[in-house]
Amino acid sequence: MSNPLSDLEKADVYFCIGTNMTECHPVAATRMKKALARGSKLIVADPRYIKLAEMSDLYLPLRVGTDVALLLGMAHVIVRENLLDHKFIEERTNGIEEYIAHVKQFTPEWASEITGVPAKDIEKAAIMYASADKASIYYTLGITEHICGVDNVQSLSNLALMTGHLGREGCGINPLRGQNNIQGAGDAGTAPSDYPGYQSVLKPENREKFEKAYGREMDAEKGITKVTALELCGEGIHAMLIDGENSVVSDPDRAHTEHAFGKLDFLCVIDIFLTETAAMADVVLPATAWGETDGTFTSTERRIQRVRAAVTPPGEAKPDWWILSALANSMGIQGFEYDSPAEVFNEICSLVPIYAGVDWDLIDGGQYQWPIPYKGHPGTPRLHEDGFTNGRAVLRAIGYRDPAEVIDDEFPVWLTTGRRLQNYHTRTQTGRSSGIDYLAPEEYLEVHPDNVQKWGLTDGGWAKVTSRRGEIKIKVKSTPRSPRGTVFASFSYAETPVNILTGSGYDPTTHTAEMKVTVVRVEPL
Amino acid sequence: MALLQELRELPLINSGVTKTRTVCGYCGVGCSVDILSKDDHIIGVQPAMDGPANLGALCVKGQFAYDYVHHPDRLKKPLVRREDGKLHETTWEEALQVAADGFRKVEQKYGRHAIYGVSSGRTPTEADYLMQKFIRAGFGTHNIDNCSRA
Repeated sequence: MSNPLSDLEKADVYFCIGTNMTECHPVAATRMKKALARGSKLIVADPRYIKLAEMSDLYLPLRVGTDVALLLGMAHVIVRENLLDHKFIEERTNGIEEYIAHVKQFTPEWASEITGVPAKDIEKAAIMYASADKASIYYTLGITEHICGVDNVQSLSNLALMTGHLGREGCGINPLRGQNNIQGAGDAGTAPSDYPGYQSVLKPENREKFEKAYGREMDAEKGITKVTALELCGEGIHAMLIDGENSVVSDPDRAHTEHAFGKLDFLCVIDIFLTETAAMADVVLPATAWGETDGTFTSTERRIQRVRAAVTPPGEAKPDWWILSALANSMGIQGFEYDSPAEVFNEICSLVPIYAGVDWDLIDGGQYQWPIPYKGHPGTPRLHEDGFTNGRAVLRAIGYRDPAEVIDDEFPVWLTTGRRLQNYHTRTQTGRSSGIDYLAPEEYLEVHPDNVQKWGLTDGGWAKVTSRRGEIKIKVKSTPRSPRGTVFASFSYAETPVNILTGSGYDPTTHTAEMKVTVVRVEPL
Repeated sequence: MALLQELRELPLINSGVTKTRTVCGYCGVGCSVDILSKDDHIIGVQPAMDGPANLGALCVKGQFAYDYVHHPDRLKKPLVRREDGKLHETTWEEALQVAADGFRKVEQKYGRHAIYGVSSGRTPTEADYLMQKFIRAGFGTHNIDNCSRA
């Protein structure tokens, strides 16, 4: 997030797109609700009439996968109504002339044709967002899990740049991260393109730094992404080490994932349960869980916080840092002589410029948000206040393209997926919490009442859902939350493996799967 | 709010309860919580009123979805797949040796680029850092990724 969570209470206008905040980030939503109660306005763009849509002042029910078209239509209106922040544009951006020329062709009427949102509402949204003093954008995987995820994010960035809604309190472009430490995982360098701290593997000075720190030569080229690695299992990739991820249930196209793991010579999994993925492994190493581990998490607002052990782990389960050190030591890999997570964290701080100003003792109170470039620096709650790291920001001319799959006679229904309030991911944890299991024991397909009738389904009855990759059996729930022609299910339940159906395509840049759009056929059972 | 604060701060009837300040393990908001434990068991989770992200708020998962920690399904010993094709409990010593041999054999047969690491967005940063270090320092490649793409 560019701005701190406290800014969720400070905007005049909120534009939430592709985020089911009340279910997926409930506490963040609570903070925004305070501002709404004081009179701030909320615009929500989402294919489903979610709780957030009920709370909104303006709801834009766009068709799945058409975000770029909606945002182009909004940009067109902002230019037409001359709601640009000329000072901000002049001082901090490049490419405005080309961008204005580009968006002139994309009228709200054009956007309406594609998105299904009335043109007058697109105009209204653009004017509300652009004319507010403080306007902020919040999004999650509804923006990124598309073949055009990067285009979606850049389209949002264009809106913020042209209106100067960036680098100030109550503004910004704010992705809410879905996992407790997905920010920390990125910070720590678990990516084929970056050393820890987002230091590119392509830059010779970074390679030199890490070759020195780790005592061996490193490749000058990027590694491959997980998506590519799964495609290459058995033909290039022959062994995998997986820590704490149930790929078999969480990844798109389950049959493909299982097939890929089956072709490995060797699979080692570190986890707290024998997940569907761990069950395929040759070696399973038992890890400590939350509440049993000392370490750090970095949150969506880049806040580095301590996690602490409260209870003893079961049996011989060990912390991940201990397991990885022991494994590396068994293999004779140098530099894994750690006695505590504090030593590991301090090593990160010594190699990562955005963590340079802290150490294990300093973060005890959780007051630091990175970047913290040097000792004594107070941290950076809000990014881009005094300028952009890379100089000037570029307004990019982005075009609309259809999702990887589009409905046709054979697969006439859009399926979109997500999470529910009570459950987390593949339910390895929440499925083993009795209260949660009572609240949400099984998965169901949300279908608009008109479609329930038209397709011969019954509320509470069973349906068969088929995509190009497979089929599942699932209970039907009749609800106007789903628009006509679009159905929804979460991917959390191993018993109802919705990810058998998904996997139509990937964003070419990030290799993020288009989880949010799959075309299916729904039939009564 | 004041009443809520008082309720949360009420002295616990049973003594021997320990409070441990930590961060919720679910979404990325980073809510501060206190784990209440007694006799080495988690008996409750309380939101921290002074948590910078949550200011005393907490959702249904953070508040109640903690029993999995003590679930009987938890893995308690390392497992290795034996000749019968099944996973069997074993010692750390053997499991680490089998794992080390597994990776080294693949490296010898197919080269150092044949090994891939998948890290987690759930584990602490120190685990993620050591996952990438295992791949980079162990094999000199950048064949490491995390689950944020899925």
